[in-house]
Amino acid sequence: MSTPHGLPAPAPVVAPHSAEFWAATAHERLLVGHCPACDQWFWPPTRSFCPRCGGVASLREADGTGAVYSYTIVRVGGAIALGGGPYKDAVPYVLAYVELTEGPTVLTNIVGIDPDDVTIGLPVRVVFARTGGPEEPALPRFQPA
Amino acid sequence: MAGKFSAGLPMPSAFHDAPELGFEIPFGTSIVPEYALAARRHMYEFGTTARQLAEVKVAASMNARHNPNAVLRKTVTVEQVLDSPMIADPLHKFDCCINTDGGGALVVVSEDVARSLGRQCVAVRGHATAVKASFGGRNDLTCTAAAQSGARAYEMAGVGPRDIDYVGLYDSFTITVIEQVEDLGFCEKGKGGPFVESGALRSPHGSLPTNSDGGGLCNNHPGARGGMPKMVEAVRQLRGEATPEVQLRDCEIALVNGIGGSIGTRMGSGTVILGREVV
Repeated sequence: MSTPHGLPAPAPVVAPHSAEFWAATAHERLLVGHCPACDQWFWPPTRSFCPRCGGVASLREADGTGAVYSYTIVRVGGAIALGGGPYKDAVPYVLAYVELTEGPTVLTNIVGIDPDDVTIGLPVRVVFARTGGPEEPALPRFQPA
Repeated sequence: MAGKFSAGLPMPSAFHDAPELGFEIPFGTSIVPEYALAARRHMYEFGTTARQLAEVKVAASMNARHNPNAVLRKTVTVEQVLDSPMIADPLHKFDCCINTDGGGALVVVSEDVARSLGRQCVAVRGHATAVKASFGGRNDLTCTAAAQSGARAYEMAGVGPRDIDYVGLYDSFTITVIEQVEDLGFCEKGKGGPFVESGALRSPHGSLPTNSDGGGLCNNHPGARGGMPKMVEAVRQLRGEATPEVQLRDCEIALVNGIGGSIGTRMGSGTVILGREVV
């Protein structure tokens, strides 16, 4: 499925440890790992225990804002290693790390902006790209805030 | 899992089954863009330039021109690197290693056997490995696990960066080399760009002759086994058996560092310090 931004939206592999996260994306909610004991947020949102204090962790909704930590404009697409394949005809597109306001950085795409205008530090907010029907996972991408 | 994200191409095991992968694959990540993310952040934090990245390739090409077996023997200029096609900003085609077939082997023997061989041998003085995880989403892309593996290998060998005559560095991309020379203590963190720009990596007269066979950027890069040719060339340097034009005059101690995984996500590093044995 393609998005209004011209990027493909390949369906993620939903595993038992990531099912709750992806289910929430269908309703445009971004969940991040959180430890109530030490108030630590962490990524990926798959851990049962806090990587800092070992406390019992759970998923908590992030506010969906952040800033670009690093980015690249992919000019040659279609690398079959990892996830490049479905993006073969989507170049140029922006792959980026966004540092969430809560702290962790997440790998994502920056959309809704000319790739040449992306900068490190750019304030962004989450936007969800549907991979299928209304109950199917949606990809959390980011656009200028 | 491998079949989900790789159309038949076997991936190094470092890419398999990491819990982060399911949150990365759908966004079109791949190897070059991940290293580009590290390069971009290094440029942002330290002012590293595309020209400085390019010098890593220039040095490799100048070393490779004397290697009759190198895949790329033609010397390139900084301008030619910058004019080569952009793959993933800021990495151009010439910032990327080649991919080749190839292989190598090391014969490791006891000290008794070494003494009986009647030829120049090389001793393992220090070695260490380290891994770098994503730290719950607080991964610093400007450094590698070589900072840890290098420090421990130096300690075991009882030497420091200033004692190293020759270096073999895994050079998957130009940024990989710049981060390693910093993490291994050959210059301050963040100064890898100016360091390589000085011509340090050129063999035999640079201040830190590196990959005198042309490395993975020009000589060869056999899949995920790019570390082996680095070991082979370091042993040649210590034995005085490198190509005469790049052979160091008096090579006593060499360091070889291998990087695995991706400096843009999660990675491992292995450092070996080798010393020339007195015959």
